[in-house]
Amino acid sequence: MLRSILAHVPAFWVVTLITAGINAIITMGVYFSNAAGALSACHAAIAGMGAYVGAVLTTNFDWPFLLALLAGVMVGFLTGMLLALVTLRMNELVAGLTTLAFGETMVIIAFNLDYIGGANGFIGIPLETTFAAVYIVLALVVFVAWRFDRSRLGYAARACRDNAHAAAAMGINTPWVKTLVFALGGGIAGAGGVLRAHYVLVQNPEDMGFFFSVNYLIFWVFGGSYTFWGPLFGAMFLTILPELLRFSLYDRFIIYGVILTAIVIVRLQGVITRVPLGRRSAVRAWWSRREGSDGPAPTQSRRRHSQPSSAPGLGGSQGSR
Amino acid sequence: MEQFFQQLINGIMIGSTYAVVALGFGLIFSVMRVVNLAHPEIFMVGAYVAFVVITRLHVPGQGLGVSVAVGVFLLVLVLAMVVTGVVGLVLERLVVRPTRGTYILTPFIATSGVSIVLQNGAQRVFGPDPVRVPSVIPAHTFVVSGVRVTSMQITTVLTAVLIMLALRYYVYRTRWGRATRAVAEKPDVAAACGVNVNLVSQLTVSIASIMAGAAGVTLGLLYSSAAPFMGLLFGLKSFVCMLVAGNRYIEAIMAVGLLLGVVEAMVTGYVSSNLRDAVAFALLLAVLFFRPQGLFGSYEV
Repeated sequence: MLRSILAHVPAFWVVTLITAGINAIITMGVYFSNAAGALSACHAAIAGMGAYVGAVLTTNFDWPFLLALLAGVMVGFLTGMLLALVTLRMNELVAGLTTLAFGETMVIIAFNLDYIGGANGFIGIPLETTFAAVYIVLALVVFVAWRFDRSRLGYAARACRDNAHAAAAMGINTPWVKTLVFALGGGIAGAGGVLRAHYVLVQNPEDMGFFFSVNYLIFWVFGGSYTFWGPLFGAMFLTILPELLRFSLYDRFIIYGVILTAIVIVRLQGVITRVPLGRRSAVRAWWSRREGSDGPAPTQSRRRHSQPSSAPGLGGSQGSR
Repeated sequence: MEQFFQQLINGIMIGSTYAVVALGFGLIFSVMRVVNLAHPEIFMVGAYVAFVVITRLHVPGQGLGVSVAVGVFLLVLVLAMVVTGVVGLVLERLVVRPTRGTYILTPFIATSGVSIVLQNGAQRVFGPDPVRVPSVIPAHTFVVSGVRVTSMQITTVLTAVLIMLALRYYVYRTRWGRATRAVAEKPDVAAACGVNVNLVSQLTVSIASIMAGAAGVTLGLLYSSAAPFMGLLFGLKSFVCMLVAGNRYIEAIMAVGLLLGVVEAMVTGYVSSNLRDAVAFALLLAVLFFRPQGLFGSYEV
């Protein structure tokens, strides 16, 4: 049935939807990894490592695709675990920077490894990823995220994210929770990487770089970093948006940038949050923040997701998240 | 030995430019806790302003007297600084001010949108290929015991040093500089003492942008090219400089910028140019591992 529906969709949109699905999977990885208060700026690198391993296994060793996918998940999981252990005691910013440097180091290693093609990239990967495969994996990931949100681990992770000390005082094993959650996210990103490599059919070192990692961070924060619907929406919307803007081929990224910035400014916490829109519309809240912005303290409300004090309409129900 | 000094000179030249851009990053980050991703693109805008002004003026390139050449160079520099300063003002008012003081990634993403707009705007106006920036400083190579130094290299380093001295004077010796330091230290207390925090942040962003614009002019003239995506890698490395140094001391950022430039030049000269871009990130990993607050301290968030 799916095939007969897809036959009526223009090929261009199938491609776009597959790309959006893969981006959504990797962004869900970012959501998991950062659920316990880490900040990972290297998910493109984790995905890329999974992709390299999966691609080598299917291309050079003729493994079945499913096993290669699982191998990619394992690689991502272990890398995530390692990174979590290294960044466990760092604050958010330093953890982000360490992962950034890790990602760039991976790019350089991949550049200098001849076995995986070096600077030319790894080529000759068989086409295995289909529309159905991407969306089955995505549905699985979303299901896991949905269960995770209501699970003991999910609550523990959110507690760590809001206040690690208080969480530890409540008897949560914070290092274990942080490591496990980061590793889970790494595994999901690894799966996304394998899917992408078997769809694009070439894996380049640059695909693991900082700018791609930042893209996933943008998808995550843009959509809203507090629920799994946020990254899902962010990745889908921001992947499809440039394609919708193709009516003006030259200006489309300019429009894209303007839309991105405008929405982030108006919805500071991302598009989808746990807080309902509230009595005042988002635009009016933004306007009053702009007008009344002679208040002090750029850093007064530095805590994650606390609203600036001059936007009372949205701030009220923050405590219940 | 000759090669060593040659690479040293090359390194100092590029390193001084890294330092200027890194100082802008550090200034904005210290005062507002905002990682301004649009900063490298303002650098790129500076290079394009140099391109536009010089091609419009039809500067003959060679055969100018020294004083005329310096005058033209200063004119280009001032125009670029004005343009980038205005861009900085607009950026602060529209993007940084509504988002500062929230979660650190929010202004990061808002400014990344601005950087996408600036990159693609430059690509739209000037085309995707690098454009050739004609030189204004008469090409002259000084040879000191086998080490070659061009007049443009000297201009680059001189401009960078002057900018850094001016910034140091501003931050430590003027009234507004004191206000800036107060806001960087404790914004609420500074506001309670009557410092206009918004004005300070506006000044800070435009000063940082002006510096980036000037660096863009010198680098554009030095490599005689400007490209829409020239800011990306350069800006990332400058950001790394700021992180390696920590954002407490202006001098530390300058020193690390120079150091990175020199080490990169040495790696290019003696090891392999493939590894040049790896230096910055290896340095960052090492520093973060041993000193998670940067070499000379600070960046608490």
